[in-house]
Amino acid sequence: MTDFMNANGGLILAFLGSAISVGFAGWGSVIGVGMTGVAASGVVTEDPSNFGKTLLLQALPGTQGIYGLLIGFIVWLKIGVFGDALVSLTLQQGWVILFACIPMGLVGFTSAIYQGKAAAAGCAIVAKRPEELSKGMVFAAMVETYAVLALLASFLMLWFGVKL
Amino acid sequence: MAIVKMKKAHIIALQSEKQNLIKMLQKFGGLHVINIEEQITEEKYLELTADSDNANVSQLEARLSQVKYSLDFINKYDKAKKSSQKARLHVSDSEYMEYINSNEELDAIFNQCKEIDLKNTELKNRETKLTNLIQLLQPWNSLESNFQDIKTSRNTVAVIGYVSSVYAEDFKRDFLITGELAYYEEVSNDKENTYILLVFHRDLEEQITQIQKQFGWSKSGFTDLIGSARENIVKLDAEAKELQHDKEVLATKAEQLVKHKSQLGIMQDIFTIERDKASIVSNFGKTEKTFVLSGWIPVKYAEKLEEVIKSVTQSYVLDLEDPADGEEPPVMLQNAAIVKPAEFVTEQYSLPHPYGIDPNAIMLPFYVIFFGMMVSDAVYGIVLAVATAIALIVMKPEGGLKKILGLIFMGGLSTLFWGALFGGWAGDLIKIRPLMFNPLDDPMKMLGLCLAMGVVHLFVGIGLQAYKNIRNGNVMDAIYDQGFWFTLIIGIMLLFLPSTAVVGKYMAIIGAAGMVLFAGRSKKNIVMRLLSGVLSLYGLTGFLGDVLSYLRLFALGLATGVIATVVNSMALMLKGSVVGYIFMVIFLIFGHVFNIAINTLGAYVHSSRLQYVEFFGKFYEGEGKAFKPFTVKTKYIKQQ
Repeated sequence: MTDFMNANGGLILAFLGSAISVGFAGWGSVIGVGMTGVAASGVVTEDPSNFGKTLLLQALPGTQGIYGLLIGFIVWLKIGVFGDALVSLTLQQGWVILFACIPMGLVGFTSAIYQGKAAAAGCAIVAKRPEELSKGMVFAAMVETYAVLALLASFLMLWFGVKL
Repeated sequence: MAIVKMKKAHIIALQSEKQNLIKMLQKFGGLHVINIEEQITEEKYLELTADSDNANVSQLEARLSQVKYSLDFINKYDKAKKSSQKARLHVSDSEYMEYINSNEELDAIFNQCKEIDLKNTELKNRETKLTNLIQLLQPWNSLESNFQDIKTSRNTVAVIGYVSSVYAEDFKRDFLITGELAYYEEVSNDKENTYILLVFHRDLEEQITQIQKQFGWSKSGFTDLIGSARENIVKLDAEAKELQHDKEVLATKAEQLVKHKSQLGIMQDIFTIERDKASIVSNFGKTEKTFVLSGWIPVKYAEKLEEVIKSVTQSYVLDLEDPADGEEPPVMLQNAAIVKPAEFVTEQYSLPHPYGIDPNAIMLPFYVIFFGMMVSDAVYGIVLAVATAIALIVMKPEGGLKKILGLIFMGGLSTLFWGALFGGWAGDLIKIRPLMFNPLDDPMKMLGLCLAMGVVHLFVGIGLQAYKNIRNGNVMDAIYDQGFWFTLIIGIMLLFLPSTAVVGKYMAIIGAAGMVLFAGRSKKNIVMRLLSGVLSLYGLTGFLGDVLSYLRLFALGLATGVIATVVNSMALMLKGSVVGYIFMVIFLIFGHVFNIAINTLGAYVHSSRLQYVEFFGKFYEGEGKAFKPFTVKTKYIKQQ
């Protein structure tokens, strides 16, 4: 068992990390985008001309999933998923990659959900005053700030913390 | 960058000339009329009463709703639709009067539309009824008996109905147990129900009712139908076809009305103009022979206003005055054509306060630079710039759309610029060496660049607040609040560089001391004053937070670049055969278009946020009311 972990543990942890980043951030986006879609449909029922505006709002909580994929992609790039063979990682390197992925997964998950709530409420703004769309978008974007910071944190940790 | 200076105009003229004056003022289109009623209570207006033209307004409103109804109705049948929106039409004065008096013609069109609409609804209702009935009859298609024969006679009971198919077998068994005087015929069945004809002797009725209840029997009743189900279905189908035909006839009739479309469009414009003219009167004050109106007018139009009035009448009073203290005129922005797009960003936040600063000219370069840094791909920049340029030239949009397209056009150019600096050309698809550095190779440099951008942006914001203080004559406020703040922050930044550390130290100390001593100067109590001075130093953490917020420039730029790279490497996996290359190209196009869309949205939102939260937070006063002149509003008529 110990031998197995020493030989493969690094890679396993790295894959776990990328799975957390892609999986959780994507999960959050699914919830956020879905929530906004429900609210947006309600608005469009009343006035179909608001489709474009509410679609913009619906796209906002979707970015976390993309950020998550981005971090996952950087991990795969580092460990040679796209190359000819996987790079062999030490356990320590594996742990570093795993922890580097956690900010993106965790913050991506929660911020997408809460951004979805803000964007869904933004749909209510569009319903009553379509010309005030930007305000709704900014409220939602305030939440995204932390996903952006987490993306940066995860990226910097991966880029500088893992030398292969 | 300017907020246009306004004067308040009071106009007094004779009632007999009111209509003409209103007409000319509407054409002039530069006066923001305000309601005088609130001021009538003041002493100097004691002789005035509120004027109005309500009878006319409601009559015109009624006309307008007729026109709108007809136009909406006709649009449903207009195959050309909006895409072929014709050029605006010219309407001469005599034609204009003709249209105003064309009530009978409008009534005729309106009534036709309404009639067709009503008939159409009726036909639709009948059609629904028919299809429902046909659907109900369908299961009985193979029943030979006529519906009028299925009834209770002296000795027998005949009845049709259905039970759930699940119970059909059990029902049949229990029913037949009752003896030879009961006849059972299954007519048809589907997934849910089995349709049955029952004939039995009257004596069995009670017993059979029990069985029916037990298995949830539902009686089918076609009591008002004569003949067999099949005959009825054939008849109803024919009827439905006839209905269909009637509908088509109606549709052709409606299509014939489409020729009135341009006429109705003109009417809509004309009645809107007339309605506006009538409803503006409710803002006026009147005496027996005269009327009074007040409004805001940009200073540069003031002379023109006098000319307009003179062209109507010689007996008038025009009084122009500067806004009184505490009075807030409406806000109109005047900017060079290149700065106009930035107004969209400001308007979405809030128009500037009439005595505040119009931030557009200063904000625009930052907005465009940030937008470019966040998308930061030369190819994407070219796509955005070309696409918006085409849209601007072909569509010739007005108002908000024109502004936002202009904004993205400039953002696209900036994106091209930054993309070239960072070496991003559709991700890594086209390999061109970066003119400056690649953020992925040198993230520390990129972080530094972003933070520096942030500091400059924030300093400009604080500088504008200082400018505002000085302009308002509060020079000392500018020194105490912004001057010391600058000294402190610059000092702290210099501390980090070895060569300037000593200067930095003293600057920071002077700045901090100044803030402790003067930030709380409004407090009387010396202890409270020093305490709030010390507390003001806490603003440093806020400043740090603001600066760190600009790291999003890096992160969003990173997102664009890496997604583009992902798209490229996934597309390259497809290459090989001819089909593979075709799919590769398709995938590349879709992937990059998606990336452009999502990142442009992100760049727009986040660049706006940096202006709204970080930049505007430092100096901006919003809540200006928009300048809305009394003017001619048309959609179809060409304006002279």
